[in-house]
Amino acid sequence: MDTRILLGAFIVYSLSTFFYLLNLTSERKNSYGRIAHFLLLSAFIIHIMSVVARYFIAGYTPITNSHEALSFFSLCIAGFFLYVKKIYKVEILGAVILPVVLVILIFATAMPSDIRPLPPVLNSYWLPIHTIFSFIGNAIFLVSFFISITYLIVEKGLKEKRFSFSIMRFPSLEVLDSINYRCMSYGFIFLTIGIITGSIWASNAWGAYWSWDPKETWSLITWIIYAVLIHNRMAIGWRGRKTAYMMILGFFSMLVMFFGVNFLLGGLHSYM
Amino acid sequence: MSDIQLLAFGFNHTTAPVEVREKLYVSEEEIPSFLQELKDTCIRELVFLYTCNRMEVYICADDREKAMESLYRVFCNRFKIRPEYLSNYTYTLEDKEVFRHLFLVASGLDSMVIGEPQILGQVKDAYRIATTFNCTGFYLDKIFHKTFNVAKRIRTETKIGYNPVSISSMAVELSKKIFGDLKRKKILVIGAGEMCEIALRHFQKEGIADISVTNRTFANAKRLAEEIIGTPYPFEDIPLLLTEVDMVLSSTGASRPIIDKPLITTVMKKRKNKPLFLIDIAVPRDIEPDVNNIENVYLYDIDDLKDLSQKHLSDRMKEAEKAKKIIEEEVEKLSRAINQVDVAPLISHIVEKFEATRENELKKYIVKLKNVDDDTLKTIDILTRGIVNKLIHPYIAMIKENGNPAVLETMKKIFRFGEDDEEKLDNRKQGE
Repeated sequence: MDTRILLGAFIVYSLSTFFYLLNLTSERKNSYGRIAHFLLLSAFIIHIMSVVARYFIAGYTPITNSHEALSFFSLCIAGFFLYVKKIYKVEILGAVILPVVLVILIFATAMPSDIRPLPPVLNSYWLPIHTIFSFIGNAIFLVSFFISITYLIVEKGLKEKRFSFSIMRFPSLEVLDSINYRCMSYGFIFLTIGIITGSIWASNAWGAYWSWDPKETWSLITWIIYAVLIHNRMAIGWRGRKTAYMMILGFFSMLVMFFGVNFLLGGLHSYM
Repeated sequence: MSDIQLLAFGFNHTTAPVEVREKLYVSEEEIPSFLQELKDTCIRELVFLYTCNRMEVYICADDREKAMESLYRVFCNRFKIRPEYLSNYTYTLEDKEVFRHLFLVASGLDSMVIGEPQILGQVKDAYRIATTFNCTGFYLDKIFHKTFNVAKRIRTETKIGYNPVSISSMAVELSKKIFGDLKRKKILVIGAGEMCEIALRHFQKEGIADISVTNRTFANAKRLAEEIIGTPYPFEDIPLLLTEVDMVLSSTGASRPIIDKPLITTVMKKRKNKPLFLIDIAVPRDIEPDVNNIENVYLYDIDDLKDLSQKHLSDRMKEAEKAKKIIEEEVEKLSRAINQVDVAPLISHIVEKFEATRENELKKYIVKLKNVDDDTLKTIDILTRGIVNKLIHPYIAMIKENGNPAVLETMKKIFRFGEDDEEKLDNRKQGE
């Protein structure tokens, strides 16, 4: 049931991606962007419905295995992108973000999606609180990674005086940097809450706030990278390219924390 | 179209050098009287297009020779020139060429800076003025409306106006790429020359309100600041101003750079790396080129801007080829539309004429045939109708297929089209 709804969401996301790419290559400004936006909004709502359906079928917050995690992760990315679009009117960036949502969803559907009984250690009200905050934080960092790459491309073009296609169509440096700043602050807040709620839950479940499990360690490394970045931006004006590079570094650290630990390093967090 | 002559007469920047264009000058207030003067009896419809690079009169007239004669008379009288002088610098276009040319003009393909958008507005204004003085009619209305459509089609289907080419609009476009919205941005102008003023007007159009002006001679800074509503500052304030503004436009006559790398490095620290866009349009340059290597500083000098302009112009040339294809398409469509409108009365005239003859003859002979039943009458009617239709067909087909005015002219002569209506009436009465 829920996987069928998810498949529906996937199809609408694909259509939205198609129109976003069309919007990028078309000369008419935002003629396809509106269609793409409408499709994205619909896909997002259908996607929420699939998560809610799974919640009722399984009886627990469906963020407990790889299929559920990736599906929920892509939902957070789509949701955060909708928020960014509302504030900055950057329809054109859909061509960058939506393909990412789509790829993650493909991986999600490729993972086994059968509903299994919940491991007792996860059976806690901390499950939704900890996972939702952490996932939203990670989704924000992922969006900022792609925004940073876009920034670096546009910046390079302007510095080297090539007034090319990418520069004409993408948002201005100031807008991209400002989105990045927002990502940095919000992502940091969510990551911090994720870590705090996680450690409270850990003290309840495992008896210790912090046990240097690989996931905990990497989340701390990620947290430090973003903390340094935020400090330097406020104190000595690290902005633009420096911010972009740091966001990319932070993103890779987050990738290790998010995927690497589960698939490679093992430890207390490897449920997926 | 043979009873109507479409003509375009005038000169542009390629046919008339600037001295000539200066001489043939019409001020805005004079245009209405000029229109009235031109609207001679033999000119049915008229639009007068005048910009700093061209003067063109679009005409729909009954008689080509007379129209040209009166045009020459009016032009020579008004500008106090001899006809030979006028014919040296002007061109005259006819029929299809008229709207092909107008399409090219309105879409900016005939402009000095290819693809520039202002010309469309100027064409629209010219047409609007002509309509307010009742100078247009069926043909020019049709042609001008089509022109606006074609120009719009070219704007959306080609990239002719995609990238800016003038130095000022490129500076504006680049700063938009760096800062996005320019409304709350600050600009500093170093130097008080004409180039600065032109560029500033472009920036003002984008909503920049905070303008600082400085110059080695303070009085000049003050003069420019008053003209464009900015604040003048003494020349020594430059380091301080640099920490506050977002953009700098520099165009002084200084022989050595006035802004160097150490200065900008310290300035950027004070700015906490807020981006700084430097536009140096002075020769020799006012800003050291390696300032561009500092992070968050974007320096464009006159050569950078000229290179970009060149590149954008060659892009436009490529797009112009696409635009010309669209224009050819539209010229064919419009020429067909105009001709069809024109041949419809001729066709119905021919059909009526044949039909009248048939009815006439039929009536004469039916009287002679006695004792025929209705069926036979019907058969005779169908038979004669068939014969007549077969006979008309080649003429109609020829008129429909061939827009050639000479053919139409011959047809009109054969069938006495346009000769007084009384004759027609007489024929019908005889028939009755």
